[in-house]
This record gives sequence, C-alpha cells and structure tokens, in this order.
Amino acid sequence: MRPSYPGMLQREWEDVTEGEEVPRITSDVTLKRVIMDAAATWDYFPGHHNVEYANQQGQKTIYINTMFFQGFIDRVITDWAGPETWIVRRKMTMQRSIYAGDTMFGEGKVTRRWVDDDGRHLVDIDIAIGNDDGVACPANATVELPSAGAR
Amino acid sequence: MATIATAHQGAPHFTMGTYEDGLKMIGAKSEVRFSESEINWPMIKYYCALVEDANPSYWDGDFARERWGSIIAPPGMLQVWMSRIQWKPGGITPAASLADSIPLPGDTLINVSTEAEFLRPMRIGDQLNVVDEIAAISPEKTTRLGTGHFVTTVATYRNQRGEVVARNTNQLFRFTKNQPSSDGAAGKEA
Repeated sequence: MRPSYPGMLQREWEDVTEGEEVPRITSDVTLKRVIMDAAATWDYFPGHHNVEYANQQGQKTIYINTMFFQGFIDRVITDWAGPETWIVRRKMTMQRSIYAGDTMFGEGKVTRRWVDDDGRHLVDIDIAIGNDDGVACPANATVELPSAGAR
Repeated sequence: MATIATAHQGAPHFTMGTYEDGLKMIGAKSEVRFSESEINWPMIKYYCALVEDANPSYWDGDFARERWGSIIAPPGMLQVWMSRIQWKPGGITPAASLADSIPLPGDTLINVSTEAEFLRPMRIGDQLNVVDEIAAISPEKTTRLGTGHFVTTVATYRNQRGEVVARNTNQLFRFTKNQPSSDGAAGKEA
C-alpha cells in the first residue's frame, strides 16, 4: 500500500490476497436521502418518492434505486482499494428493497487475483449490500489495481 | 426489486403480444438516444453527496488530472446521464424503453440483474449516447411473482468521439402477476 491522497492509501495488486475481506461500510438511508436519490439520478419512478405508490406495490415505504446501489457497491470497493482503482466490470442482482429509515451496509471478499491477456492486474470481489433484514443486493466486480511491479 | 410497474403517472406502458411475437424482436436496436446534458461536475458532486463517496477522482481537479487526465464521472452514474429531464420547452418525449416495447404477454416487470463493463473514463464535457439491443428472451418461466419471460438487453454507451465507454447488460422479468388466492391481500391493488 502506498499513499495516494491526503488520508488515503492505494492498495496495489501485490497487496491483495484471495479470500481477503473487504471491510463493511454502513450508511443511514434517511427519508431525505431517498428523495435526494431521485433528484441526484433524475429518476422519478414513483416508488422512489411517492409513499402511497410504494405501498400499492406492496413495499413498506419509498426505496432507493439501482443507481444508488451501484454507487454504494463501487464505494465499498474504492474505500478499501483506494482512489486509483478502475472498476472494469460490476454485476448486481436486485433481491429486496432498501427503504427510507434503514441502515444500509456493504461488504465484500476477494475471490480471485489474476492478470488478463492485456497484462492488466485484476482482482475479483464478491460484494453484498443489505439492511437489518439481511442481504438485499448481491454483486460481484472485477477491478484493476496498480501493480508495484510496473512502477 | 422494486420497479414493479402498474398503471400510474410516470410508470411505463407495455406492448402486449405472444412469446412468438416477442422473439421476432431479437436483434432489434433502439434509435440512438442522446443525454440531456453533457457530463458535468455539479451533477457528479450531487451524486457523490448522495453516496457519500469521498474519492478525489470526483472532487479534486489536481488529483483527477494527475491520475485520469480530468475529473471523471463515477461509474455508478452511467445510467444517470440518460435519465430524462422532467420538463422542457416544447415538451418532452415520452419514456419508451426498448424492453417495454417488446410484444409479450406480461403486463408488468421487475428488474433482475445488471452487468456493466467500463471501457473508458467518462469525462466532464463528454456527451454520451446510447443504443439498446434486444439480446435474448427466455421461454415462459414461473417464479413466485408470476409467469412470464426473462428479457436481456445490451445498452452500448458511446461518447461524442464515437468511442464505446461502457456496455450495460440488463435482465428483467416481464410477467403477469399470480392470481391472488380468494382471501389474498395481494389482489387488492389490482
């Protein structure tokens, strides 16, 4: 690991081991934040801002959208790996909603460390995003890290 | 999750048809759709404030220039740039997604999974466009939600130089809700 930015380290490919845990981060999903989600992503599907509509869908209240999940998945990765990390690929599966009033968590585990045909130094990570009821959105990603060998 | 759509302002409208009708649409592409505005720093900051992402690639011009050549957009914003504005002079085009326009029996949908590949940084000033293609439609399946078809679409995002910046493969379930049991609360909204 090397310093990257004041208060932030960059993990290099050689620092990572398969099976390594990517630490949990948590965040309070307040009502204001779900409204902010609709505004920040220009997504006015009614389930994200209209409680009555969400109730009609069988949801307990308004819930966060896909683009918030995606940003939070990527944050789990880059909070751990550092700001020079490139997200190569990210797959997510929506299983349950995360609601206004929930505390959201994200965490992961390194499943593979490898070099592709283009010589890129890659790490595969399994990630789980959830709330107090458990996992809501399993995900996995491939990320490119700087290599100490290439410096 | 969560994007079950029923007749409601802002909810999508579906083309109805048989599975055989739907299969004829495999390989069909949407028209090129352009983002409402170019990639810009205020929207990047607003999104990062939502996610509470402190990554200086999005906040610090000096750091970002050194590492990426410019401030870049977070990968999670890929679809944000294609969101429609809610009003503009002369009116807005109705939201019609390619997946909604496939003739199929299902009258509602739920998004299942999304896989994005990122090929190039998305930079401030870039103007993105997207083309959607219908890649696959499954035979009829029954899940706990209902009976319908899994639809796979691939969206290819390019910048103003024609370079592919990302591909997004989306799978959704177009279905008809299970009939509620005689005492089932699930039928009340129908």
